[in-house]
Amino acid sequence: MTVSQSACEDCAFHNVNSLKKLGIDTDNIDYVVALAGNPNTGKSTVFNALTGLRQHTGNWPGKTVVRAEGAYQYDEKRYKLIDLPGTYSLLSTSQDEEVARNFILFGKPDVTVIVADATRLERNLNLVLQILEITNKAVLCLNLMDEAKRNNIKIDQRALAKKLGVPVVETVARSQKGIPELLSTIADIATGKIVSKPRKVKNLNRQIEKSVNQLAREIEKKFPGIPNSRWVAFRLLEGDKRITEAVVNNELMELV
Amino acid sequence: MDQALINLLIFVALIILGWISYKFFGSREFLQGKLKRQKTLTEDILKQLYHVEESNRKPTLDHLAGALQLKRKKILLVVEQMTTSGLVSLNDNTITLTDEGRLYALRIVRVHRLWEKYLAEQTGHQPKDWHNLAEKMEHMLDEKETQRLESSLGNPMFDPHGDPIPNESGEVNPVVWTPLPSYAIGSPGKIIHIEDEPEVIYRQLLDKKIFVGSHIKVLKTDNNEVSFVCEGVEHQFSTIVAANIHVAELSENEMFEEHAVRLSALEYGETAEVIGLSEECRGASRRRLLDLGILPGTSIEVDLKSPLKDPVAYRVRNTSIALRKTMSDLILINKN
Amino acid sequence: MEKKDKNSIVDLASELRWKIGDNFHDKLTESLYTDASEIASQAIEMPGNERNYSLDRKIDRIVTSKRFGFPIMLGILALILWLTISGANVPSGLLFTLLIEITYPALKSLSESIGLIWWLDGLLIDGIYMAVAWVVSVMLPPMAIFFPLFTLLEDFGYLPRVAFNLDSLFRRAGAHGKQALTMSMGWGCNAAGVVATRIIDSPRERLIAIITNNFSLCNGRWPTQILIATIFIGSLVPSSFSGTVTSLSVIAIALLGVGFMFLTSWLLSRTVLKGEVSTFTLELPPYRPPRFWQTIYTSLIDRTLIVLWRAVLFAAPAGAVIWLVSNIHLGEITLANQLIEWINPFGLFLGLNGVILLAYIIAIPANEIIIPTILMLTVANLKLAGIGAGEGVMFELDSTLDTANILKAGGWTVLTGINLMLFSLLHNPCSTTIYTIYKETKSAKWTTVASILPVIMGFVVCFLVTQFWHLFA
Repeated sequence: MTVSQSACEDCAFHNVNSLKKLGIDTDNIDYVVALAGNPNTGKSTVFNALTGLRQHTGNWPGKTVVRAEGAYQYDEKRYKLIDLPGTYSLLSTSQDEEVARNFILFGKPDVTVIVADATRLERNLNLVLQILEITNKAVLCLNLMDEAKRNNIKIDQRALAKKLGVPVVETVARSQKGIPELLSTIADIATGKIVSKPRKVKNLNRQIEKSVNQLAREIEKKFPGIPNSRWVAFRLLEGDKRITEAVVNNELMELV
Repeated sequence: MDQALINLLIFVALIILGWISYKFFGSREFLQGKLKRQKTLTEDILKQLYHVEESNRKPTLDHLAGALQLKRKKILLVVEQMTTSGLVSLNDNTITLTDEGRLYALRIVRVHRLWEKYLAEQTGHQPKDWHNLAEKMEHMLDEKETQRLESSLGNPMFDPHGDPIPNESGEVNPVVWTPLPSYAIGSPGKIIHIEDEPEVIYRQLLDKKIFVGSHIKVLKTDNNEVSFVCEGVEHQFSTIVAANIHVAELSENEMFEEHAVRLSALEYGETAEVIGLSEECRGASRRRLLDLGILPGTSIEVDLKSPLKDPVAYRVRNTSIALRKTMSDLILINKN
Repeated sequence: MEKKDKNSIVDLASELRWKIGDNFHDKLTESLYTDASEIASQAIEMPGNERNYSLDRKIDRIVTSKRFGFPIMLGILALILWLTISGANVPSGLLFTLLIEITYPALKSLSESIGLIWWLDGLLIDGIYMAVAWVVSVMLPPMAIFFPLFTLLEDFGYLPRVAFNLDSLFRRAGAHGKQALTMSMGWGCNAAGVVATRIIDSPRERLIAIITNNFSLCNGRWPTQILIATIFIGSLVPSSFSGTVTSLSVIAIALLGVGFMFLTSWLLSRTVLKGEVSTFTLELPPYRPPRFWQTIYTSLIDRTLIVLWRAVLFAAPAGAVIWLVSNIHLGEITLANQLIEWINPFGLFLGLNGVILLAYIIAIPANEIIIPTILMLTVANLKLAGIGAGEGVMFELDSTLDTANILKAGGWTVLTGINLMLFSLLHNPCSTTIYTIYKETKSAKWTTVASILPVIMGFVVCFLVTQFWHLFA
């Protein structure tokens, strides 16, 4: 599959022939895509743009509390899209965060789309970095680019992609801008065309770094081939009940 | 008309009756069976003995009766039973804990402090209620439940008042502290413990927002009064009250924040840099502030004040976030 | 052996955690943000202090200012309510004509022509159809105006500023500033208000907002208030003042509702809910120009139609029940009259009557059908000939005077009127709202509290008003 790099950057429906919005029809799915992000970043707007559903989106954090599901077809493949609750972080015990965290870790989505608010990117990166600790198959969707432009915020998309180690797509989901690029990037990640090696957190406090590495080594020894031993180590240190149970009952490999 | 009056009187009587029965039936003594009451009393005595021994005094029966507000006769009865089961030894009115008794006492202390930590981190209960809730809970958890509680809290070392939590085998990390009235004038220190009993004094300290973890500097001490600076505010307490604040010197890698003030003191038009969150900022609130990126070194300024003065919106990392004064009191800053 | 190995990982984690100390979470977040700002500094170019001169800033300075903040809020609220009430009249009347005055007789004659058995005809058309038609015609128009207006303000970003302005008042009652908005949504519909509490991100305050939403007089209850106030309170003063007095008394009831909301919030936050986690941070997002048509569309689909659908689902069986109690005979008298006879003493004791209590029990699905049900039950109870549409058929009269006459024939006094207004404010939420509360809280306990608490308050308040009335009158 190739991305048509036409000059038609502004027209809303370029590439539209390969997209079919399926609404809530989630049968015979080829790939599962998770949609994560901070509250009030336009996550639900992206969701609506892809699925054709009309989930209400307010200018206000916290509209999506339950998990919403929808589907679309792109290039003959059917994708199921899961709109996770918007959270600032994945480290805490609040119900929203648990839903989002457990889905990205245990739900094994084929792609995780991280929607970020381009006007508050620094704060959004907190969550982005956490998700990249869990999964390699992710794309950063820089939404609200129109507002960023209005506020004279300039983002070097290439530098960002290089630093994070995952593809970055700029979008204005409200007017469908960038959605075609997002779709093709999702497809490339799902089919394995793009293989990323995302950034793992670097500036760890020395003691934490030491502990995490030691623990991660032990985990890898006991569960060879585990993809995200570092994240499991973080969770064990935090006292995450579900992960601890999984380790005790020897179920970790089945879960992650 | 008379009927209406009677109806109203009956209504009032019912309310009073309801209130009384709530007070009466709601109290734990009534709900517990005799055996349970016996266990509770035994454990309370053990704990009391442990605390008295910790402060290097010799516990007597009268002392216990006073502390637990029970009749001497009743205490004596229970203590005799405890002697036969090998928890304490009694000679001439003074009671000493046996090794077994001390271990048992430490287990109760452990549950109490873990539960206080739990209340502080994972519930919305007010600090003034922690102690009494933990007093009830300490008799209810067995060792396995306690262990589960401990690991879910991330194996904490201290309770929210700064008391060390004994571990499974009853070991306690010794903590050295000085009561505030005897702390050296002019040298920087850190509050590491605040006694939560008696409640009247504890509440007074809470009202003044004196918290564990705050840096202080004593300005003046005399026989009646201690005055000191804490987070940009000058306080004066009577010696009795101040003695419940326990202070230690700063460790090597801690810097005394001479000019630290609370975020609530930031005025419109000023900018500041965040020093950190007070230890009193706990649980969900602490995590939320961290998630929003209010971290050491972050620059912050007042964005908007609401018409009724509280909350105030602050500009952090290009976002406007409104915080109530109760929260902004727990964020320490250095004004630029 | 295998098992032991896994445990050693957990043990190692505990040991390491002990070494790191209590502030693991702090340190981890700090590390993440250090990384984040490092990346940001290399990939993002921020303008200087532009916020100070931006339009957002200017708007914010005005809408949160001491001088204009509150007047602007009140003005917008008044405008929305006015648009809703005056705008809904016409479509409501049209729907009423269409569904009840035209379709209902047509259905009746259709069922006659195909020879439907009398009880099936009664159950389906007089019972179920009538209840559904009534709910739709009263409920749909105001909601279809109120919610889109609200949603426009929401999408623009004004609502967080309202929460910001009012938080101080709500804080004192142990509630969240955003409760001001869920409360206002409740004036449209309590079920929608309960759904809207999702914006409150603190568990304790969200529960408070859910439980107290019922104290917002919803649009199904406004017509009841206005009708009863006109009949019993407006008539106490010379006719030139009666309109004003009526409006004032209805507003007084709505404000009393706000008072009860604050009082109950305060009580809840200090008693049963004090252990729930509470935290407050309120983000003020940048303003965004709302996309008008899209907003209208989504808010119609999302809020109005979903709530309406739920209301219809609940109203249908209630219509059946209403018809059945009026048509099942226990010997000489109908089930309805038997029930009324049983509960009448209790009703009178509270200053209400058996008809009112029965109406509130069987019309639990929707407050809209309370008055028609009361009228139908009163007429059936008194066996008045020539009024109404038959046993078990709800009706309303065009003339307020005729309605007043029926009610007065049913033994209503000014006291009954006042108590009905109070009870209409303070009673259990409608079943749509109860169901919504359960869906939102997933807790039978809080659903029960939210359902029972207002009825108890209603009983107590009506009882006290009645006894004091007797004492001094």
